[in-house]
Amino acid sequence: MSYFCSRIIFQRFQIKQIKKFNFSNVSGGPNKHVEFPKRNKPIFGKDGPITWKTVGITGVLGAGMVTYLLYLKEEQEEKQRRERKRQLGKAQIGGPFELLDGSNNIVKSEQFLGKWMLIYFGFSHCPDICPDELEKMALVVDNLEKEDMNTGIQGIFITVDPDRDTPKIVDKYIKEFSSKFIGLSGTSDQIQQVCKRYRVYYSPGKKDVDNDYIVDHTIIMYLVNPEGEFIDYFGQNKTADEIVEHILLHMFKFKQEKGSLLSNTLEKINSLSGKKIVTS
Amino acid sequence: MKYNIMSSKEEFLSKNERTKCWSSRDHFWECLRSNNDKADKCTDLRLIYESSCPVQWVKHFDRKYNYLKFKEKMEKDGYEPLNEK
Repeated sequence: MSYFCSRIIFQRFQIKQIKKFNFSNVSGGPNKHVEFPKRNKPIFGKDGPITWKTVGITGVLGAGMVTYLLYLKEEQEEKQRRERKRQLGKAQIGGPFELLDGSNNIVKSEQFLGKWMLIYFGFSHCPDICPDELEKMALVVDNLEKEDMNTGIQGIFITVDPDRDTPKIVDKYIKEFSSKFIGLSGTSDQIQQVCKRYRVYYSPGKKDVDNDYIVDHTIIMYLVNPEGEFIDYFGQNKTADEIVEHILLHMFKFKQEKGSLLSNTLEKINSLSGKKIVTS
Repeated sequence: MKYNIMSSKEEFLSKNERTKCWSSRDHFWECLRSNNDKADKCTDLRLIYESSCPVQWVKHFDRKYNYLKFKEKMEKDGYEPLNEK
């Protein structure tokens, strides 16, 4: 059936082409009067170029095209939604905490809003890894302070061994690495909560005859932005220089984002009030 | 018959104490390496090492020594994949 139809269309097309062509003009120069072939048949209808069939075919093709474009648009939007979701998922690490500092004062995470935070979890009886990491963190903070981009970063040490590491001990321990660092402890529940928020694993080992033990724990430094959001983490494999570079990049991005957000808001205000507010 | 003066310490090791412990450990490890891991040739250094570090740390470092040796061997000699017999 479809073969038959296409044959009819083809035949009609051939006839039309032959009829349209005016052979008298083949050898004509530019001065010769050129006569366009006269159309003595209607455009639309049985013998015209536009028939119900061509309209139908065009319609089907057009509809297909539009559907495809809509599909592409939908796909693009889905991609954006996924990206937004990924960014939201990132924020699930971290969150507010309430702990105790060296003078037994309550320290809330909100106090650090407006400042970047570099947080490390460990314990004072740690044989080698924590001291190495804390020395690295001190170096990172010192080097960051020399950079123009730096907008203030607070080094924070949180113990995963609240039984032995009282607030006073933690404070004494951390000050040996850097006088700028803050050491935090708290009740077992408080430590458990902050560790859960930051996805920190910790597990005290078996106690020996002297009641001494080693706490196995996650070795990760966490970077939190001035809005209290977790931004990045640095494992043991990262050097101090690499961490500094990463943090500077995050600080730069943060400033840019906040900058564009500010100008966007100002633009909106401008268009709403109809006046121009000059931004310096 | 372990001789140890650090074990009774309730508080953490200070920076100086840590450095002392680590360097005594490194001396002992050096001795082990140059003597083909024969510990009886390094008893003196072992005593100093054990007296400068908490018992738990000594245990931890001993495990670490074996692990590092194993890692070194793997990197040097490679390893045989499990499925190849």
